[in-house]
Amino acid sequence: MRKSGFYILFWILLVNVSIVSSFFIINGYGAAEEIDPEFGDAPIIDGNIDDSKNEWKEAIKIEIKLIDLPIDLWVMQTNRELFISIQLDLLSGYHNTTEFFGLLVSTNSSENLEDFIDAKFIQFTNISANEFVYLDYYINDSLFLNDTRYDGGGAAKFEGDISIYEFSIPIGQTNINGENEDTILDYDENYAFNITYGYNPIYPQGIKKSEIVLININAPNEKKIIISSLVLVVLSIIVYSSIGVLFGFYVYKIIKLKEKIERLRS
Amino acid sequence: MSKAPKDQIKEQKLKIRRRSDDKFAYRTAIISCILGIIFYVVSFIFNVGIISVFTSGNFLFNLLDILIKIIAILLFFLFMMISVGNFKELSGNPLGWKELLLLFVLSLGQTLLNLLVFSLTFIGLLIIVIYFYLVQES
Repeated sequence: MRKSGFYILFWILLVNVSIVSSFFIINGYGAAEEIDPEFGDAPIIDGNIDDSKNEWKEAIKIEIKLIDLPIDLWVMQTNRELFISIQLDLLSGYHNTTEFFGLLVSTNSSENLEDFIDAKFIQFTNISANEFVYLDYYINDSLFLNDTRYDGGGAAKFEGDISIYEFSIPIGQTNINGENEDTILDYDENYAFNITYGYNPIYPQGIKKSEIVLININAPNEKKIIISSLVLVVLSIIVYSSIGVLFGFYVYKIIKLKEKIERLRS
Repeated sequence: MSKAPKDQIKEQKLKIRRRSDDKFAYRTAIISCILGIIFYVVSFIFNVGIISVFTSGNFLFNLLDILIKIIAILLFFLFMMISVGNFKELSGNPLGWKELLLLFVLSLGQTLLNLLVFSLTFIGLLIIVIYFYLVQES
């Protein structure tokens, strides 16, 4: 009886483990990583992450692989801009002088090649001197053509063994000039971003490694965020102040108790 | 030898022992309270984010930040429970559920700004309470 119970338990466990692992397998192969960026304070696009100013604090931070190249990807947004930071940590001497990172932006969540119509690059011209250029292209039949008007911004910095790239892309801005050179990011829509890496400043031939991620552009709901975080902050202040007051009262009671004990002893 | 002085000596010894027990309990209440205050300050600094020591995206730094927050709150709860327990004992009462619940709520209240810290601290507090309950019972 006990033996059959053990077998039943073992088989349940085995089935359970198989079902749970299959979810990981589904997530692990084929499906592009989906990122739901948080709202936060806009970072300064200068290639420098200033911890003292809490820059990129609210960003979603993940590690992805461009084939076999691991990079740190940070994504966050404001009401008007989407911010993407890429950090590449390589052993000293392995960074190429003309290293670049680019974002090929699809018109929607489609990962088909023809739907990527917009490309933004941060191209180092001399990495050791921290010289770079921000480039904005539109893609026409796999040809990368310079935008007549550059959209968004980008900056990079090489420090130690890490190269940091910062991109900003406008959200919800309609094409005033009528040019169809950029992907217009709209709220509550999902876009495919092809993150590309290379070290030969010719596009697209210079692209060596890439990986597609899906980014949701969230609609601004500032009021809701502010109210809920305000409530939590007020509650925290109440709790910490109450503890402070109770500490004072408790210390007073201890002193009183000492006096009482001494009185009883005498 | 008569019985009276023997009883007197016994009583005196008991009195001295009770006095030293009281002294020990009082000292424990004070020291635990001071440690409680120290961990309350540490918890305040890290949980409210007055000093952002670990703001980079490094996984290890984030883990360290969360661990410090949780450990500070758990130690605050532990030391305050010891302090209040000794204080109550000196006043002639045992530590009741009311005081325990108040400490539990105040400890958990410190974690409101971070859901992960809240959940892990909640589990930690439950483990401490269950542990003390079992020890008490046995």
